[in-house]
Amino acid sequence: MKKTSQICQSKLPDNTALKQQQLPAYRLQLSATGVLSGFFATGAFCLGVGIILILSAKSIKEIEIKYTKICANCAELREDAINFDKECTCSIPFYLSETMQGNVYLYYKLYGFYQNLYRYILSRSNSQLVGTDLKDVGNCAPFSKSHNGTPIAPCGAIANSIFNDTIILSYNLNSSIHMEVPMLRSGITWWTDKYVKFRNPSAINLSSAFTGTAKPPYWSKPVYELDLEDTENNGFLNDDFIVWMRTAAFPTFKKLYRRLNRVQYFIEGLPAGNYSFNITYNFPVTRFKGEKSVVLSTLTWSGGSSLFLGLAYTVTGAVTWLAAFSMMAIHLMLKEKRTLFIER
Amino acid sequence: MKYIKPFISEIPWNYSWYYCAMSLFERQDGEQERYLQANNREFNTRFGYPNNTIKTSRYNVFNFLPLNLFEQFQRLANAYFLILLFLQLIPQISSLAWYTTVIPLMVVLSITAVKDAIDDMKRHQNDNHVNNRSVMVVMNGRIKEDKWMNIQVGDIIKLRNNQPVTADILLLSSSEPYSLTYIETAELDGETNLKVKQAIPVTSDLEDNLELLSAFDGKVTCESPNNKLDKFTGILTYKGKDFTLDHDKLLLRGCIIRNTDWCYGLVIYTGPDTKLMQNCGKSTFKRTHMDHLLNVLVVWIFLFLGSMCFILAIGHGIWENKKGYYFQNYLPWEEYVPSSAVSAILVFWSYFIILNTMVPISLYVSVEIIRLGNSCYINWDRKMFYAPKNSPAQARTTTLNEELGQVKYVFSDKTGTLTQNIMVFNKCSINGMFYGHVYDKKGMKVEVSEETEKVDFSYNKLADPKFSFYDKTLVEAVKKGDRWVHLFFLSLSLCHTVMSEEKVEGKLVYQAQSPDEGALVTAARNFGFVFRYRTSETIAVVEMGETKVYQLLAILDFSNVRKRMSIVVRTPEDRVMLFCKGADTILCQLLHPSCRFLRDVTMEHLDDFAVEGLRTLMVAYRELDNSFFQAWSKKHSEACLSLENREHKMSNVYEEIEKDLMLLGATAIEDKLQDGVPETVTTLNKAQIKMWVLTGDKQETAVNIAYACNIFEEEMDGMFIVEGKNNETVLQELRSARDKMKPESLLESDPVNIYLTSKPQMLRIPEEVPNGNYGLIINGCSLAYALEGNLELELVRTACMCKGVICCRMTPLQKAQVVEMVKRYKKVVTLAIGDGANDVSMIKAAHIGVGISGQEGMQAMLNSDYAFSQFHYLQRLLLVHGRWSYNRMCKFLSYFFYKNFAFTLVHFWYAFFSGFSAQTVYDTWFITFYNLVYTSLPVLGLSLFDQ
Repeated sequence: MKKTSQICQSKLPDNTALKQQQLPAYRLQLSATGVLSGFFATGAFCLGVGIILILSAKSIKEIEIKYTKICANCAELREDAINFDKECTCSIPFYLSETMQGNVYLYYKLYGFYQNLYRYILSRSNSQLVGTDLKDVGNCAPFSKSHNGTPIAPCGAIANSIFNDTIILSYNLNSSIHMEVPMLRSGITWWTDKYVKFRNPSAINLSSAFTGTAKPPYWSKPVYELDLEDTENNGFLNDDFIVWMRTAAFPTFKKLYRRLNRVQYFIEGLPAGNYSFNITYNFPVTRFKGEKSVVLSTLTWSGGSSLFLGLAYTVTGAVTWLAAFSMMAIHLMLKEKRTLFIER
Repeated sequence: MKYIKPFISEIPWNYSWYYCAMSLFERQDGEQERYLQANNREFNTRFGYPNNTIKTSRYNVFNFLPLNLFEQFQRLANAYFLILLFLQLIPQISSLAWYTTVIPLMVVLSITAVKDAIDDMKRHQNDNHVNNRSVMVVMNGRIKEDKWMNIQVGDIIKLRNNQPVTADILLLSSSEPYSLTYIETAELDGETNLKVKQAIPVTSDLEDNLELLSAFDGKVTCESPNNKLDKFTGILTYKGKDFTLDHDKLLLRGCIIRNTDWCYGLVIYTGPDTKLMQNCGKSTFKRTHMDHLLNVLVVWIFLFLGSMCFILAIGHGIWENKKGYYFQNYLPWEEYVPSSAVSAILVFWSYFIILNTMVPISLYVSVEIIRLGNSCYINWDRKMFYAPKNSPAQARTTTLNEELGQVKYVFSDKTGTLTQNIMVFNKCSINGMFYGHVYDKKGMKVEVSEETEKVDFSYNKLADPKFSFYDKTLVEAVKKGDRWVHLFFLSLSLCHTVMSEEKVEGKLVYQAQSPDEGALVTAARNFGFVFRYRTSETIAVVEMGETKVYQLLAILDFSNVRKRMSIVVRTPEDRVMLFCKGADTILCQLLHPSCRFLRDVTMEHLDDFAVEGLRTLMVAYRELDNSFFQAWSKKHSEACLSLENREHKMSNVYEEIEKDLMLLGATAIEDKLQDGVPETVTTLNKAQIKMWVLTGDKQETAVNIAYACNIFEEEMDGMFIVEGKNNETVLQELRSARDKMKPESLLESDPVNIYLTSKPQMLRIPEEVPNGNYGLIINGCSLAYALEGNLELELVRTACMCKGVICCRMTPLQKAQVVEMVKRYKKVVTLAIGDGANDVSMIKAAHIGVGISGQEGMQAMLNSDYAFSQFHYLQRLLLVHGRWSYNRMCKFLSYFFYKNFAFTLVHFWYAFFSGFSAQTVYDTWFITFYNLVYTSLPVLGLSLFDQ
């Protein structure tokens, strides 16, 4: 009791580090040598990392073939929607001068296709895709319902505009033997997409699960018949569909299409030689002045063939060094002046 | 009472508007004139006057939410977010989920609302406390106790000594002769000296006769409630006659009755109509430069935001035209979008929503938190805690911290601020003899130290043990019975307004309004002239052990103009004596020609005192002829009763009797410097902070103190004294000072002169560098000339070039004028520090007011922004807390705007890749919490702990 009354009487503030502003604090003591060496070290580090990244990106073997112009007749055909049921194929031969070692990935790449438009991105139904409510097409405008009013599954502008060219790579061992390169169509999605965000509605079989829904207007087949060879790869769980549904951030993007199945001739990767892409051309891009290309590429530890990260590091390093040099110059000049001043 | 004022930046506008609207409203349906009749509630209720409840609170339980929200949405940023919310409800342009703006807005609004609610609760409590005070009301011939809030217009109330006045009341009668009533108006105007109010004779006859009082049915017609403290006109109609009433008859709410046993008053204005409350509305808020900067920044951000949205909208239009139109296979346009132009207009608003993070919604809240934190640091600082008084430093406003770091000019009071204001009777000169120096056996003058032997006062049982004096010759003179010495001390023990308290026999405690008086009376007491008690008609003094009762005939009280006070007594020997003490400048003009020689000697002594920095007073007496006094007394009471121009008449009457005085001597009171003052001044000087001393004291004393505390130094290049008595000489003196400090500044080719002539409405005077260290001393009356229009500029230019400036003989108003002048012409941050009621005006005028809680009451402290007990804490306040607050605030602002821009500009650049379609890069929840949660802590941490 006595103690508390004493505390009440004295208004002396508490002697705590917080209240007396004596929390441990550290102030950098900046000296010219410290700053300069710091700058030089940072610059050296950035340059080093940048160069390593660039070299590693350069080590990647990559082939890209734009086929919109090559398949000009197909492109022209697809400009008119009336011809939607006319099949158009197009073969693009190319020569691989060097073996592509290791895992090889096949991508399709689109130019000028805006998957990042606000309304485009919104136009999907996650509750539908996760299989809980097929009838939920709330956000899918303008592709939510078919003409007769049945809900579209999968609904929305993203699903509707799925990339539907078929790309087959064949290896021309010689002029007579044309061998289809074995490709895997599985394992090209994000794990969370395949196992969490996309679920088929539960039913005995898929076709019955999707009764009461219509296919998206631009699709030729309903969603449960996307892969005729592998029944597991159907419905919302179709890998190509899942890949497409993960929208790209920029208007020029490539998406993983297939990966090399390393068997027989291809155990080491893609051997050098003559190849050709056999493309069933369905996806129209000329209307909006877009382009399509097909990309074959290997990977390294640093990712794909993009030089961006490496360049960013290099430029940062270079700028840092530039700054360091100019600061050193100023420092030396001032130092000279100061010594002169002192001498005087 | 001051409360934490949130968001000070907007409040002035809001509230001035609020109050203007209120007063406008009141005036429209308000009364033109007020009619009331005493003791007639029925009649008075017809006019619907408010009762005496005051309400300083703004909300009640029911209107809190709507009113508080309404006030909050008057703030720019909040209103913006409300608009955003509405925009988001339009599906065509909504680009973010609704909760992205709702959540931050709710959080910010609720923080502010809680703060407002707490503040308002305190006000409610305060109001309740005041409203429930009890007061005595005359009701049907009896006195009834009632609560303040139940008082109605027309009631007659009784007030006792030391009670606060309940409402604005018309004084009817009082215990004092002529129904005089003394009041202290400290709460109203900050002046602590007593003022006299007087009832009109017809009502003073009522005295304390309750029957008469309750039968009193006078009708009063007076002006409607207004806020003019010194103006009141009305007519009292009583028994068929009209009597004019003026403000001399009105006791205002907020005053305190002093030296008057009881008084009765008729309630004229109640509650919100009282002059005190009418003056309350426009409390001036001090805004910092930072607040101003913030608002400017926010406006610029809005403009920037608008232009960004505009650019993006144009980009969208172009994109839709060139690309989007052809992309319609995959994404058809909405039906309501006929062309790309319409789409662009919609996208403008969409981006307006997306880029909202640029407008810092949490900025104001964060600024408040930082300021609060930094104020707490001041409150918590042990180095600003003064143990002897158990008083920590106090940041009374939380909004001015960063301003502390920008202070350029410090205006300081002298007494009590630089000095301790503990007055010690140190030396005196009696009848030409100098007392107070200590000599050793060889006859050499010695400095007084701890070891010096004190004078033994044991012969006097009533002596104050704390009093110490070292010169034995004076005691010997007293013991010897030297006539002049006796008369001198008698006059000291008679001529004052000190009250004595003797709770235990022999232990006297003096209650002095000014410490000087207390020191003098205590000195007289120790030397054997003990002032024992006083009544309204007598003063009892124990003269060398023998009690004598003097009949008090008149008190000619002290005023700032008169600078002297006198007392007329009839001694037990039936002689009429006048004792007078006052400033030497005044008193030496009133002396009898016969004591010219003595005067010259005393003046020499006074100069010696002043050199030592002592405060001096002259003491004189006059023996009056009985018949002369009777004649004078008649004139005096006539003047007392006169209705018009009373003060003038009174001072004329006083002058008649205060002449031909016989000089007794002079007193010198020491006022010691506070600890650490010279060091603090030196440090502040090093920090380029200029120190001005504004004091009411005389020049010599002020200059001495200035030397003692390093404002002036011995090695200064020159000292200018401005003491001209008219415009021309003052101008001449100022110019010649400037000529010496910086000769080229008088030439027309001087850049400053060119600048000033080219811009007659000049904004600020640039800094001018003199060729050395100079000091300026300026006198009060010269200052009065210098503060007039065209000389102000000269004064500022000259004074601001000096290292130190001493202004002496200043009135409180002049102090404020000087501060205002520097504020106006230099546009720099000023700080005023003082301890007394006379510093209040200057404390209020300066950007930052600092109150020293010292000997002279709480006035200065209550009006200050920061308060502490010792001058040298100023150093820590400015150079540690101020600097840190300012640095932190600057870093905080940079950091804050950086983080918001960095976050928001991503969306701007991304627009170029996403077809300007208002697509966001980040998840909506991330946007929601970015400012509020993710980034607020590091920013706050930096701004609270950075050193």
